[in-house]
Amino acid sequence: MTDFVQLLVSGLALGSVYALVALGFVVIYRASEVFNFAHGELLTFGALMMIYLSAAPIDESDLFALGGSGSGGLGLPWGLAALLAITATGLLAVVIERVALRPLVGRPVFVPIIITLFIGFILRTIMVLVWGTGSLPLETPYDAMATFTVGGVTIDYTSVWVILFSGVVLGLFFLLLRFSKLGIAMRATSSDQETALGLGIPVGKVFGVTWFVAGAFAAMAGIFVGMREPSVEAATASYIALRAFPAVIVGGLESPTGAVLAGLLLGVLEVLTQGYINDSFGEMSKNFHAVLPYLVMILVLVVRPYGLFGQRKVERL
Amino acid sequence: MPTKKLVTRYLDDLALFPDRYHKIGVVFGVLAAVILPFLMGDYGLDIAHKGLIAVVGATGMMILTGFCGQISLGHAAFLAIGGYTVAILGGTFGVPFWLALPIGGVLAAAVGLMVGPFALRLEGLYLAIVTIGLLFLVEHVLRNGLEMAYAKDYLSVPMHSWFGSAPDDVLGSFREDGALSGGQKLYFLFLVIALGTLWVSKNLQRSHTGRAMMAVRDRDMAAEVLGVNAAQSKFIAFGLSSFFAGIAGGMYAFAHPVLTLEPFNLQMSVEYVAMVILGGVGTTFGAAWGALAFTVLLPLAGELGQMLPFPSAFSSEHQAVIIFFPLLCLFLVFEPLGILGIWLRVKRYFAAWPFRY
Repeated sequence: MTDFVQLLVSGLALGSVYALVALGFVVIYRASEVFNFAHGELLTFGALMMIYLSAAPIDESDLFALGGSGSGGLGLPWGLAALLAITATGLLAVVIERVALRPLVGRPVFVPIIITLFIGFILRTIMVLVWGTGSLPLETPYDAMATFTVGGVTIDYTSVWVILFSGVVLGLFFLLLRFSKLGIAMRATSSDQETALGLGIPVGKVFGVTWFVAGAFAAMAGIFVGMREPSVEAATASYIALRAFPAVIVGGLESPTGAVLAGLLLGVLEVLTQGYINDSFGEMSKNFHAVLPYLVMILVLVVRPYGLFGQRKVERL
Repeated sequence: MPTKKLVTRYLDDLALFPDRYHKIGVVFGVLAAVILPFLMGDYGLDIAHKGLIAVVGATGMMILTGFCGQISLGHAAFLAIGGYTVAILGGTFGVPFWLALPIGGVLAAAVGLMVGPFALRLEGLYLAIVTIGLLFLVEHVLRNGLEMAYAKDYLSVPMHSWFGSAPDDVLGSFREDGALSGGQKLYFLFLVIALGTLWVSKNLQRSHTGRAMMAVRDRDMAAEVLGVNAAQSKFIAFGLSSFFAGIAGGMYAFAHPVLTLEPFNLQMSVEYVAMVILGGVGTTFGAAWGALAFTVLLPLAGELGQMLPFPSAFSSEHQAVIIFFPLLCLFLVFEPLGILGIWLRVKRYFAAWPFRY
């Protein structure tokens, strides 16, 4: 039972990360009908920026202490570094949208898919060139391995942090979407761009804000992933976004609620699989947790081709 | 704006080579392809192998994406299935190459047809992401299966000559001796397969089946109203596409004596989609030229990158990505029809000469 609760908490933490990433995909898709395949690289960028900003400045006389792989950071306080990293990633997302995707509005769906995929590869290569292929430690404001015990269940601080923080952020976002003027503009844009434009909503600006929000979510997810590990690799960190694809699809491409729920669900399922199933079916189930989300996705799509909360498309001739 | 001469008979419209210029072009093209391997060194032959593999793979992609309009990012999965089938058949069972290759294709097609029923209900991005999932699932099964059966995650690919193998003939007669070098023999084998694939694709395009696929691509519901069986068309497209991907995977295995799972990743799938778009969506011409342009330009970009003064020594693959991919993005933004668009413009210029539009 204690095992189960521990796994559940860990799964919820992973699920929160998935939820943040999936929500980023959904928000962008709703606004500009683009599936941003470069999202994983935004996530990596956020985490690496965080490392750069928060790591202690390098001491020239003490290179060996860093194992030779470390490059010096700016040594900013943790909170400020996180805020700056998140902002920087948001701005990067805005730039990507403005430069690469705005000219493609109204073009067949292949082209934006390919362009975002390529931007992802390019970004990843650049990050590998800048930060190298080694894994870099991400500092946490407390002891990274710290745990506390409640009723015999050992829980690590990081999981609690991740769950609480993403819960607050997601809550704020849904409030914004529901009640603020900006949120209403965003919903109007996603429901019909032309009509929104006709009603005086600055659709271009809404795109910008949307991409910024999505980039910020990605950066947060990246920092959380880095805190869980607790390290980041420039070449492989973006795979977490590939793992979040199923959450997007299971929840339905158009539904923020669906993305969050499916993200949490798949996170918990994945960790439970890792805990209970991975070792019990021999060779074939090794690393089974890594592909389970895709299996769940395919099964859900067999029953509901538009995901759990997605819009069923009505077609007229 | 006319880009071909006026057609007055239905038969003319269906002809494989509609006019004299096409026939002349084909003769010269084949001549050039035959002479080429004698002019190239090993490096050139290597790129030529890759190009011909890409032509077969991209034609498979074109049938699914270009003709039938289904976006798949799982192409690499079918290549992996074809490649590993060939490797296992050759390595464990001593099957000769001419038998292993089609078996690889058929197995890949079988998996493709198993995916078909799931894919029929999905469209657009949902399908793209499900096929990514398929890629990961196949990779998982292959990796763990290999671990279980051979206790290693790589396989060497023997290429047995016509009938089975002599015990010490591991790399087969395709690698050594004779009037032609091993690479040249492989080149001619690949050339025949690639031309055959293009011929099948071209015929598909001219036939009822292919036209039904295009109707489904343009508007599946309208196609169904007109009596096209959309589900069947998609099913056939999936089968054919994965068959050719399997063949391309087998060819890939023959060109790489040691086969690992690493190259069959998402990037490979994406590159195939990019080839198809680079060449021009919806034409056999596009598949062939997109694949060739991609495979020739990518290493070229890597070579160029080595000349640029970057701060540290990057691998040429990194250079290629940094130089070639942004250019490709720009090209796609400014030339939506790809190489086909340029070709049509050239053709139109000469067709209308001395007048111009």
